[in-house]
Amino acid sequence: MAAFTHFSRKLLLNSLKLDVRPQINNKCMICVRLLSYSPKEYDGNPDPGPIFMKNEVQHLLKTLTRIDLAKVFRKRKLGNKQLEQPTYKFMTDAQLEEALNEVKKKVDKIIQIPPVVSVRKPINRILSRDSALQGLDTSNFVFTDVTFGVHNSERIIVVRDTNGTLKEADWELRDRINQIYFPVKHRSIKIPKMFQESYFENVLNKREYVFILDRACLQFEPNDALYQKIISITYQHINDNNEFDVLRSTRHFGSFAFFLAWHKMIDNLLLDLIETEHIDEANALIELYSQIHKVKLQSDGNLRLLEEYIKNFSNKQGALELALQAYKNTVKQREELEAGIKKAHGHS
Amino acid sequence: MANHLLNITRTLSKLTINTKYRLSNTIIRLERDLPTQPLFSNSTRNTNFFNKLPAEDLWKGITSVSNAGKKRGRGKTVSRKNIKDLNKGQIIGVGKANMIWPGLTTPIIRGKEIVEQQQLPEDPEREKKLNMLRDKMGTFRYAKLSPIERGWSGAKMPGRSIGPPDPVGEDTFEGFDSKVLELKTVFNMKGNFGRKRRVSATVVTGNKNGLAGFAMGKGIEPRTAMRKAKNRSGQKLIHVKIFRNHTVFHDFFTQFGATKIFVSQKPEGYGLVCHRAIRTICEVVGIKDLYAKVEGSTNLNHIIKAFFLGLVKQKTHEEIAEEKSLHLVEFCKENGYFPTVLASPTKCKTEEEIKKDEILDFTQYCFDGRVILKKKKYPPFYANYRSYYIYLKKQEKLRNKQQVKMDLIAEYGEIRSFLTEKYPECRPSRRPKKEEQEESND
Repeated sequence: MAAFTHFSRKLLLNSLKLDVRPQINNKCMICVRLLSYSPKEYDGNPDPGPIFMKNEVQHLLKTLTRIDLAKVFRKRKLGNKQLEQPTYKFMTDAQLEEALNEVKKKVDKIIQIPPVVSVRKPINRILSRDSALQGLDTSNFVFTDVTFGVHNSERIIVVRDTNGTLKEADWELRDRINQIYFPVKHRSIKIPKMFQESYFENVLNKREYVFILDRACLQFEPNDALYQKIISITYQHINDNNEFDVLRSTRHFGSFAFFLAWHKMIDNLLLDLIETEHIDEANALIELYSQIHKVKLQSDGNLRLLEEYIKNFSNKQGALELALQAYKNTVKQREELEAGIKKAHGHS
Repeated sequence: MANHLLNITRTLSKLTINTKYRLSNTIIRLERDLPTQPLFSNSTRNTNFFNKLPAEDLWKGITSVSNAGKKRGRGKTVSRKNIKDLNKGQIIGVGKANMIWPGLTTPIIRGKEIVEQQQLPEDPEREKKLNMLRDKMGTFRYAKLSPIERGWSGAKMPGRSIGPPDPVGEDTFEGFDSKVLELKTVFNMKGNFGRKRRVSATVVTGNKNGLAGFAMGKGIEPRTAMRKAKNRSGQKLIHVKIFRNHTVFHDFFTQFGATKIFVSQKPEGYGLVCHRAIRTICEVVGIKDLYAKVEGSTNLNHIIKAFFLGLVKQKTHEEIAEEKSLHLVEFCKENGYFPTVLASPTKCKTEEEIKKDEILDFTQYCFDGRVILKKKKYPPFYANYRSYYIYLKKQEKLRNKQQVKMDLIAEYGEIRSFLTEKYPECRPSRRPKKEEQEESND
């Protein structure tokens, strides 16, 4: 392997000294107190990854996302100064169908659910202590393996401290060094200010959930603790404000539903689904719940499953039962009305 | 003069009455008294042209022209506006000689003393003040227009807004606004009347929501011409289709006489890039984004007519789809080239039914087979200069400057370098604002 090391003293002088400290402060600010929500990370106990990656779970999450093509292909701000002039085409039925099929192929990629994994463990491995090198320089040295083809998570990055200790770089430093040598487009070396407490609260209150989640996806790795803190707070905010429609047909709804099911918070979503008469999705949600928590629900059939969940596991029993009853009544009324109409038309 | 005569009579009387005195004496004394004055001088009169006539008549003489003269074109610069009231600023008793007249300019008794008549040193400011007052008269200035109210050029009317047409009975033109497109003097020559001068105005009015009309009006005064045109345009309203409330439905070509206009639909935020008359019409109609190229004659009336014709002839997407018997589908970069169906026909053609020579390109269809001449853009004349090459080389290192500046301001609230923390003077110098400067001077 043609590995070569690269030391970047200037980088350390400039960025490590000046920036790491404020960043740590920011992070602390976020973890200490953010709104009234406490962050809920996937602490790897048990690991959500294998459950999330199961085919059945993925299928359920997709059902819950309720894909609406018009929303998947909504108008987005692409950051251009001027909008592009649309093109118009004359199409036959067959051509139109073909074009639609072509577009549908893209849907899976666009709404691919960001992975749910447990938080990465901190790195504290000391390689050697050379006290002879103590006080050699006033700043740390970072040695990076910049070989082509090595994955960012497996790249060798080590730090020689001023006191002569050679240790593996911690995650934060790794992220920055990786971004410097192998930049991800639009990801910034410093954490964007919108994720700081004072600003973050503002953005949340503006209900810019999709923006927050998109940016967090871009900025962080999915196993980053800060990422999981940010998205967990956003998810809780959405759940409390019943803003489920904002996330539907976006890539974030799957991981949002998984989060709710994992932390046993699905009652609000379930209520919303029953009220909007999406019983299939409600069943899918309960199925997801049972898959995650290894709960065996005996009953099958549409409403019996719901009833069993409400009876045994829900926290909002009253509201859910009322909603279910209201749904049953409307269905009954509708059936009666249809029968009446049929009768009036003489169809017996 | 009177003094002179008095002296003479005095001497004559002395000659006759007091015979005791010697003649030589009186003559010597007379010579001593009046050494330079001749005995009899030319008489002068105190009446003249300027104090015989009142000021009004005097001013009239220089600020008016006789009717016959006016017909011959005389007196083009004279005007009643030039008349100045020279009494303005003058006070009785106050004059060039700075005298104190007790009882006229000052009270007779001040405190316990009686004020005496006396002359003070001359006031140099008085003359200046009077002149300034007189200079101000006769130069009338119009109130300054705000940039929004201004027309196409200077203080001229074309392009300016003149409000909605006057209501007719119960029909009020709410939400309407009219704009002048043309205001010019026109002449009519007749055998018996001679040359007759009038003003012609073309005005377009609209409610900024697809309802608009234009008309021409004539009158002796610009104001009457504009009013006539405005009210007539209110009676000639046309409905214009606007796509998504911001642009035309499709590109189109339109022609009136030798004036040809190619109009293109544009996305939101593009603005109105076209002839100023077309822009003004669009503003009134409610079109916000459009590009139009005028070819051929730029006669204003023809442009107006051609553009309105084009607007009226627009087809909606439903009509187009029905005409072609094909779906009309929009592809937009902003929504990931998702095929948005704008309109569908009642019965769609199949691929076999489409004729071979049928126009399937939408733009071609809109221009009716016409092709816009797009000239090749040549590089500028300096592109091959060595100096330009050097300039480009120097600019190369500055290419991210603006972005870096923005990032720094977002991060630190100021533009700074990596040395600023250690050396606070490492900041770009900033010229203090005027107020700060004054404060520091104080």
